[in-house]
Amino acid sequence: METKCVLSIKSPLGPPVEILKHVFPANSNRPRVSFVAGLHGDELEGLYICHKLLRYLKNLEANQPEAIQGEINIYPAVNPQALENSTRLWPFFSIDVNRTFGSRQTDSLAVETSQALLEDLKSSSDTVIDFHSSNLQLLELPQIRIIKDFEKKLLPLAKKCNVDLIWIHPNAEIFASTLGFNLNSAKIPTLVIETGICLRIHPEKGDQIFNGVLNLLNELGTLKLTPEPVKEPHLVQPDQVKMVQAHHSGLFIKQVEAGNFLEEGERIGKLIDPIEGSILKEVVSPCSGLLFTIREHPLAHKGSPLARIAELGVQ
Amino acid sequence: MKEKILTLPTPYGGNLELHKNTWGKSGEPLSIVSGLQGDHLNGLFLNSHLTQFLDSIVEGLDPHYTLTGQVQTFPVVNVNAVQSGTRLWPLDGMDMDLAFPGNPEGETAEAIASAILQHTKDSFWGIILTSAPPHYEDAPHIQTHKPDSREKKMCRDLQIETARRQKDSPTQKVNLFHHWQEQEISSVMVSAGSPRTINPQQCEVLFQGILNFMKAEGILKDHRNKKPDNKIKTRIYDPDEEVLVRTSAAGMLLKEVKVGNFLKKGQKIGEVRDIYSGKRLEELAAPEDGLLITLRQYPIVYEKEPIAILLSGKDRWQKIGHVFQSIVKR
Ligand SMILES: [Zn+2]
Repeated sequence: METKCVLSIKSPLGPPVEILKHVFPANSNRPRVSFVAGLHGDELEGLYICHKLLRYLKNLEANQPEAIQGEINIYPAVNPQALENSTRLWPFFSIDVNRTFGSRQTDSLAVETSQALLEDLKSSSDTVIDFHSSNLQLLELPQIRIIKDFEKKLLPLAKKCNVDLIWIHPNAEIFASTLGFNLNSAKIPTLVIETGICLRIHPEKGDQIFNGVLNLLNELGTLKLTPEPVKEPHLVQPDQVKMVQAHHSGLFIKQVEAGNFLEEGERIGKLIDPIEGSILKEVVSPCSGLLFTIREHPLAHKGSPLARIAELGVQ
Repeated sequence: MKEKILTLPTPYGGNLELHKNTWGKSGEPLSIVSGLQGDHLNGLFLNSHLTQFLDSIVEGLDPHYTLTGQVQTFPVVNVNAVQSGTRLWPLDGMDMDLAFPGNPEGETAEAIASAILQHTKDSFWGIILTSAPPHYEDAPHIQTHKPDSREKKMCRDLQIETARRQKDSPTQKVNLFHHWQEQEISSVMVSAGSPRTINPQQCEVLFQGILNFMKAEGILKDHRNKKPDNKIKTRIYDPDEEVLVRTSAAGMLLKEVKVGNFLKKGQKIGEVRDIYSGKRLEELAAPEDGLLITLRQYPIVYEKEPIAILLSGKDRWQKIGHVFQSIVKR
């Protein structure tokens, strides 16, 4: 393994801010795969998966180097200042780096940084995996969201990753500034794997995705090994996703867990008024299906998402 | 007239309220929006100044003017961020200007965005009041994207000396400005100053500009029938006429110039000093002649940061020079 510095910026007090990548060189010219974590500094689940990958690959390199057939690049912490402060945004600029990709307006350090990262990934990857967790509010089951335009290329890859759910959804304007969209637009297939919630690590879910990633590397020919079997994900189209929103502002008390299969009308939780002591609403599932998103942060404003259910046919 | 355009309940019993002010009933409406970011206070100040001014006209207290058109202002869009004293609302961390077109049934930011768009969609003109990004200061200027003839006329009528044409950005399609343009509302942004501060002198430049604009478009009638003084000509700069000056050291920036200054090539902009030793690490100078439109305001800087943006006419003059030479040769 070789460690390279993708970008180094001198900081006001001396020690540089550095984006590092670890390169596992290949024994053949099979597809190069890159893994990115920490674009949002409070999303730690991907860092755990990268940690597992690093350990695994170091061991493989030492004991069975011929198994590494394609170059593997791991970028374990691409937003160092946000990670150190455990914030979603780059703290010095209050900027979401994952809203700066593809910008030609190079008048900020954040854009300089995202450009350097994008160029490095483009030059060293045939496939990219970008790990994310949810925000402070919601907990997500391991899932891959695919923009309709990229479905043909990404769906076969996504099915290898041992996630619970693949959600095909229409394009939205906001994606144009993300790393995933820009790599996919540059014809480098990129899967955005989302799991868990920010500021927490769920090792069992991380282990599940780690197994999926090994399976993907094997299927691509990047690694030559015998992976463990992976699960068949639920493939969900936009009209199968039912979002439950808060009809009023209050505190949401959840009564189910992500991963539960719900019947139509089954209780999800309740919305309470903390000041008046009243129950504003008993929140129920609008359909039967898989609960794949649940609100963890109780503070809900009118319109806030409380849950997402994938409406599934007979299982 | 102050009017509530959106009420959202909050979890602890209060309400979030979004307001607009309106004056006049006839003619093509002009919408002026400020407070998309909670720390863009020059816009809030300018809008409150405009409110005072327009109120005094419709109440008959200003003998010089009559309102002959329609104006509506939206002084505060990101209400929660202003209340929190921050650029973004800490709870959602969302940039309000990345929430358009919004959704009336959606989360707070989406519901606000949707209400603003709904209430401005029938405007003929739109002006967004803004400031420089965090840590920077702008000299008063107009920002446009791909101005058509109506928007070029807006720039001329505002009579603010400088306008910048902005490059395409991957987030522009979720900005309010973009949605106005899609709906063929003639619109510009005007920027001045730094976040978190009010600079009355800079606001006065923009206030006079908006006054010029309202007079030119027949929204306001000035009874003094005074011939206008020398009309200020607006120059629109293209993105390739912008020159960025970047740090190659990190530390403390001490600057020696002010936004709005015209800098000569080689003129010192400032220097970067080491925070521990106080030693000078780097001197920053203007790489060519130009108008200093944006300057770093916050003194702690990283390496590779742009600390100044100059608007240089050099390219254009060169191009004109070439054309002239080729005509002479022919
Ligand atoms: Zn993320």
